[in-house]
Amino acid sequence: MNAIETIPATKEALYDEAARVYGAALERLARAYEADVDLRRDLLQDIHLALWRSFEGFDGHCSLRTWIYRVAHNVAASHVTQQMRARKQALVGLEELENLPDISGAGSADRNHALNQLLALIQRLKPLDRHVILSYLEGLDAASIAEITGLSSGNVATKIHRIKTVLARQFQQGDVNHE
Amino acid sequence: MNNHSTNPAQQIWQSQPVEGMKVSADVIRLRATKFEHKISRRNLRESIASLFVIAFFGYFFVTSPGILLRITWALFIAGMIWIVIALRLKGTPKTMPAAMGSSSSMDFFRSELERQRDLLRNVFPWYLAPLIPGYVALNVAYAFKFPGPIRWTGLGLLDVFFVAVFVGVWYMNRRAARCLQRSIDELSENQH
Repeated sequence: MNAIETIPATKEALYDEAARVYGAALERLARAYEADVDLRRDLLQDIHLALWRSFEGFDGHCSLRTWIYRVAHNVAASHVTQQMRARKQALVGLEELENLPDISGAGSADRNHALNQLLALIQRLKPLDRHVILSYLEGLDAASIAEITGLSSGNVATKIHRIKTVLARQFQQGDVNHE
Repeated sequence: MNNHSTNPAQQIWQSQPVEGMKVSADVIRLRATKFEHKISRRNLRESIASLFVIAFFGYFFVTSPGILLRITWALFIAGMIWIVIALRLKGTPKTMPAAMGSSSSMDFFRSELERQRDLLRNVFPWYLAPLIPGYVALNVAYAFKFPGPIRWTGLGLLDVFFVAVFVGVWYMNRRAARCLQRSIDELSENQH
């Protein structure tokens, strides 16, 4: 992922830059928070709308990347909370995920299957843990994740350790066909 | 600042196909208008429902023969207005917060949970208590209008039902508030 070097001045320019650089990451994020295609499209539009509006208040105290991820995850977390009530869905924490049986007993045969497995795993998590695992999967380091989420660095490190354990169990190096 | 030691899951995640969905300025404006309309419609629905209930009590206020009954219905109307104002002030956010990016995810999520918890925890003063004066006045008016033990028995049973409903609503809201408090505590533990 590319960091934005210079920060554009206007709200419109900020939004254009955010959409250009982080558009794909935002789509992946929406996919992780909503399985239904139509609701996902709505969620993604809500994220873009929230971003567009939020740039009125962007003062440069944090990086643009931190700002974008905060807004996106905050909108998505609100969406999950509403859906939890509607669907009466129980979510688990990372520590509970470690103790749950694997989603699929068989190894991942191809990337598509592995991706679906990964999505199913993410969608079982509570919003904050989902936020951490998504940031980790996007390649953000622990310090950046701590800044975006507000978690302590120690806590982020613990969570990343758990994530790695769970992912290692679910996605063994040899199971994934890289074509 | 990125984590360069990518593992297979990171590779799978980052290389997944995306639609490349472009959200144009027009779509955003349309979405913003849709959002505002949704809020307006919800406000309108709440207002119409409140007006309907107030009109219902108002009818009894106008047609009631005695002063005691009129006071009763006036107290119910005042209670309803109080509830409507409290709902407007404390209910769901009316607009999408503009500065979502200035607070960390945890702070944002916690403040949202705290808002919901406080709403549930304080259900008695803003939702139940405003109806009590009207109900007490109704009891007094009824007792004066229909003196006699048989009628009072009926009224007593109605009071038991009324109290049971109040206690039930209060208890369920307190229980939901405790659940939210557990989630808030869990979040706080994560911060340390």
